[in-house]
Amino acid sequence: MTTDINQTITQITEIIINELKLEDVTPQTFDPDLDLVDEVGIDSMDLATIALVLRDVYGIRIEEDDYPKLTTVRIIAEYIDNKLTSGE
Amino acid sequence: MITVSSLLDDHWYERYRKISKLNIRSSIYDVTDRCNLRCKGCFFFSSGEHEAASEEKDLGKWHVFVENEMARGVNLAILIGGEPTLCLDRIEAFYKRLPTFCATNGLIKVPRDRFPDMMVGLSLWGDEKDEKILRGQDTFKISSANYEGDPHAYYLYTITPKQLGKTEKIIKKITDVGLKVHMQLLSNDEGVDGFSWKPDELVAVRAEMDDMLDKYPRTVISSKYYHEIITTGVMLGRSFGWMECPSVTEPIDKRSPRPKRLTNFIRWASDLRTMHRCCTSETRDCSTCKDGAAHMSWVMVNKRAHIKTTEDLRNWIEVYEMFAKLYQFIPW
Repeated sequence: MTTDINQTITQITEIIINELKLEDVTPQTFDPDLDLVDEVGIDSMDLATIALVLRDVYGIRIEEDDYPKLTTVRIIAEYIDNKLTSGE
Repeated sequence: MITVSSLLDDHWYERYRKISKLNIRSSIYDVTDRCNLRCKGCFFFSSGEHEAASEEKDLGKWHVFVENEMARGVNLAILIGGEPTLCLDRIEAFYKRLPTFCATNGLIKVPRDRFPDMMVGLSLWGDEKDEKILRGQDTFKISSANYEGDPHAYYLYTITPKQLGKTEKIIKKITDVGLKVHMQLLSNDEGVDGFSWKPDELVAVRAEMDDMLDKYPRTVISSKYYHEIITTGVMLGRSFGWMECPSVTEPIDKRSPRPKRLTNFIRWASDLRTMHRCCTSETRDCSTCKDGAAHMSWVMVNKRAHIKTTEDLRNWIEVYEMFAKLYQFIPW
């Protein structure tokens, strides 16, 4: 479980770095507990973009109402993990 | 990686946090095709938008429509014209459900027993002389009497080239009636002689807007970065225009690459079916558009582009705060 979640965290971090073209950071140096809105400065349009990619990669739908609580990469990874586990 | 907190001290970071999760999703609605004025330069009439659709008269359909808009994620209704106050029942369909802003010429007073805290934007196009030339009458005399001291109303002062050197007189008048003011620039869609901006006039008006903000910080709701953007049309080295505008109606936005834009934004005509191209005139040349809200939104949707330097990010915060104040998401 821990290994899986860490892989998911790395994958999500790669997606975010690529999609948002974040500079001077790698999946290894990105803090998964960093607040994406308060610190990275992503907005709802960024989140919508990321959600589309995550849908394609993991085959899960991220509800728009859930965006506000997806504040860190770790929380997103746990959200995806829960969806995959519950088969939603 | 540059983070927000690495660029801001505690004071600015706290300001940032107050607005960072607001997630404002606005759309714009023509409430009616009619107006009790016919102003030269009003894009609604000059571009034929009053004839684009026949207004929906069934009030029940307005209520259903607003419910659908909420389901679409809209959390701020911006009501424009014609003149919305001609149709208070339609305004109420929005106000009962959503944070609502109503743009009006102020000739009809919104009854505060019915709409106690609805934000009202009072259009003003200059001093008595300009108002008479462009609008046929001095609206300030009536609107200021209707709204004096109202905490949920402010003037939307559209500055024209003829107002250069005279804006302080207007700001003082507004201060004296206990109201706030937000400044924007006339786009002169109808090409009224002498009302189109020349480059040196835009430089001068920017300095004058800055001066008014410095002198009347309690009255003027603005930011110097907004003044820079709206007068130069340039943000972070990029020029405003069709390929940058954030306020294009989303279902008809076929631009590629798609720029950063307002999520789910639509400008609806009053038939509740027709969509206008954008937040302002469909016939306007985007490269010379001076629409204040579009320029504000342009800054707001480009947040991460401003997370480069402390000055850039502070500029972004000030513009976002200005927008949030004008639509009552944060206090004055």
